[in-house]
Amino acid sequence: MSSLFDILSVMILLSSFVLMANKRIKSYIKTFRIQSLLIAIVAGILGIQLIINEGRVDVLIVCIIIVLLKVIYIPNLLRRTYLGVEHRVEKDFIWNIPILVLICCGLVVFIYFSITAIEGISEDISTIQLVNSVSVVLIGLFFMISRKKAIGLIIGFLELENGIFVTAMFATDGMPFIVDLGIFIDMLTAVMIMGVMVFRISDKFDTINIDELNKLKG
Amino acid sequence: MGILQFDNYIQLCILLFFIGSIIALGLNKKARLCNYVSNGISIIATALLAFASIMQIMGGKDVIKLSLLKSTLPFIRLEMTIDGLSAIFLLILSLLTICVSTYSIGYISSYYGKRNVGLFYFLYMSFILSMIFVFTSSNAVFFYIVWEGMALLSYFLVIYESERSENRQAGTLYIVMTHIGTAFLLIGIMISYSYTNSFDLFGSSDAIPAGAKNVIFIMYLLGFGTKAGAIPLHIWLPYAHPAAPSNVSALMSGIMIKTAVYGLIRFVMGFLGLQEAWWGILIIIIGIVSAVLGVAYAMMETDIKRILAYSSVENMGIILLGLGVSFTALAYGNLLVGQLALIASILHTLNHALFKGGLFLGAGSVHYATGTKDIEKLGGLIKKMPISALLVLCFSLAVSSIVPFNGFIGEWLTMQSIFASVAHGKHGINILLILGVAALGLAGALAAACFVRFFGISFLGIERSEHALKAEEVPRSMNIAMGILALICLSIGIFPLVAIKLIDRASYGLLGSSILDQIQGGFLVSWYSMEFTSNRISSFEILAVLVVIILLSLLALRVLGGKYIERRYGTWDCGFEALNSRMQYTATGFSKPIRIIFRILFRPSRKRSTKGGTAYYPETIEYTVDSESVFEKYIYKPVFVRARIWSRRTKFTVQTGNIHNYLTYIFITVIVLMAYNSFI
Repeated sequence: MSSLFDILSVMILLSSFVLMANKRIKSYIKTFRIQSLLIAIVAGILGIQLIINEGRVDVLIVCIIIVLLKVIYIPNLLRRTYLGVEHRVEKDFIWNIPILVLICCGLVVFIYFSITAIEGISEDISTIQLVNSVSVVLIGLFFMISRKKAIGLIIGFLELENGIFVTAMFATDGMPFIVDLGIFIDMLTAVMIMGVMVFRISDKFDTINIDELNKLKG
Repeated sequence: MGILQFDNYIQLCILLFFIGSIIALGLNKKARLCNYVSNGISIIATALLAFASIMQIMGGKDVIKLSLLKSTLPFIRLEMTIDGLSAIFLLILSLLTICVSTYSIGYISSYYGKRNVGLFYFLYMSFILSMIFVFTSSNAVFFYIVWEGMALLSYFLVIYESERSENRQAGTLYIVMTHIGTAFLLIGIMISYSYTNSFDLFGSSDAIPAGAKNVIFIMYLLGFGTKAGAIPLHIWLPYAHPAAPSNVSALMSGIMIKTAVYGLIRFVMGFLGLQEAWWGILIIIIGIVSAVLGVAYAMMETDIKRILAYSSVENMGIILLGLGVSFTALAYGNLLVGQLALIASILHTLNHALFKGGLFLGAGSVHYATGTKDIEKLGGLIKKMPISALLVLCFSLAVSSIVPFNGFIGEWLTMQSIFASVAHGKHGINILLILGVAALGLAGALAAACFVRFFGISFLGIERSEHALKAEEVPRSMNIAMGILALICLSIGIFPLVAIKLIDRASYGLLGSSILDQIQGGFLVSWYSMEFTSNRISSFEILAVLVVIILLSLLALRVLGGKYIERRYGTWDCGFEALNSRMQYTATGFSKPIRIIFRILFRPSRKRSTKGGTAYYPETIEYTVDSESVFEKYIYKPVFVRARIWSRRTKFTVQTGNIHNYLTYIFITVIVLMAYNSFI
């Protein structure tokens, strides 16, 4: 079963590389949907396992919530936002895409060294899963830095959150249900607010370029 | 039995201040009622406190422990311990507060309808309460909290008349300086915690290695030195004291800056223990510099309260000098000299609280009567307000350490302790100590000159402006308050052994010995002289001789001179009968010789400009003198300018407003932390 999780975690990491290599906003949303689906699969497998072994149903419920929220609702919400603004393709990055992907590779290597240096990680957790999922977190953060449009920042934030969720799940076999629920509600609120904000920014400045926010400082 | 115990009085006092401050806020619509109620409550509460602290000092050698709040949170325990040292400072606080509260009844009456009296009394009473806590807190966290509370409350009192921009600027300077001091204090507390794992001020400091103790001492010295106004950390004092209402500046100068003395004794002598002689030597040097420069700067000021503020710097210098001698002597294991110097230092703290409190109240009376604080605009007030003038004269004599008043006793004892420690000291230190004696003498002489100028220009002569012309005697409560203070000053001056005995007993808890037997003389019978290492003095005898000489000479004049006719006319008039106020000395003119002698210190610049008329007969001549303050120009200004340039530059490079930059900061921080974790 551990090797299955290994494969899934690698696929999640791969999806974040794919995300980094994208430049069309439509494909951002698609990639995010795929990544969330992979996470839902992880949660589903873990949930079934836990029902059989310990009789816990909460992880399965979490899996259902992920499917509803991250695979269906949030991508649709983002799609609607995307249709509302005129912007389609990300054109200006801080560096070009191959360099960004190379930096991400470097990040993964760095995190491998960093995670393996931690003493006291219990033996039954595969280190590779942890490395992959922490990498997703940092790549999500790096994605936010590399994109200049507001919608890119939202996607980056969601990817970061996915990474944290997967890390928690791999490391602890499912966090307490109430914590998961709290995180989901937070994230939902954040995404809704940010979706609204993108509309407002677009209305106000005729662009969703984040650099326009520089003018707001005192 | 319960009601008779002293700790109940202290709890009652705290409760009264707490309730009183809330009542004051509630009564802010009824200014007159609020004034009477608040002052009544604080007089009763501080009277209880004075009684309890005297009883604690006289009563015994065990300490009172009170606990206000116990919580399960780590370190948050509001615990109070009142030993002799706390009690003597509480006594100083309560003596001064009783008088200041009496004074406030009259002084605040000018605020009716103009300002929020309720808010004033809320701040005033909370301020006093915070000082009570500072003197009694027994763990460092509680001490830090109330210390900070004291700073903030006094800040709000400084900017109470906030419509004038110079008051707001003074407040900002004060809060910045005091926060810098508090930051050093916090560093010291945290370093000592990291070794001892305890915040208890009465605990043991054995776990701290010697090197760390040195660092902690420097931190405490910087922290408390800022509050004490020791040069070169004094710059807030001459701005903050004039800005505050006079009754508040009396409390600030009289007792708040003394919290630093308490802190140094409690934290360094009590907690750290005196391991190195250079600690004391450093304090001696700071004391010498503060004493001489403080009074020298006071000489140049023309604002009454700024003169007094600089004089506070001088007196804190004298107190620190005594403290430094004590620390050095104790580090060398010389208990007798150490305790004598400590007593001298605490005695001067008490004296300074009394007479400087009185002088600030006097300055308040002058401001109340004339509406100005500029002594160039005063003059002739002794005829308009004779009682206030007499009382201010008493305080001026005390601060110039003239014999029948208490200021003399403190300085005499400090000098004696220095002489005694010269006799026991080593060579290098002896030079410094002799320098200290010289500095003390110089400071005393300059202080006398300064207060001749202060009293002479503002109270004698002819009125220099409309302000002085319209002056009237102030309300009775203000004079009563100053009268009580003057009486205490005089009685400590004539019966010094009462005060010395109290302080001796108070310091028993710290040093475990009493030196009262070494000072000959007895309780209340001070026509016995005070004698220490064969230097003796009796202010009572000196006073008696003075009185006899004056009476005899008057009598001799009467007998030898025969009958004389009394005529009354203007002094120095000589029949000319057209004297005007411009023929008198100005304050600037009076201090000119000093300014010339100490040119290197003041760096005076003068400017004369004539206007109209011919070259030989101009219509107006304008003459202005400026003395630049060395510390502000050469220490603070460069630092300030650098900091401003640096922060302006970093504002645009670090805080760009660009969201990607902020995200990058987070990203880099995470990476660096992970790298730190894995590779180091």
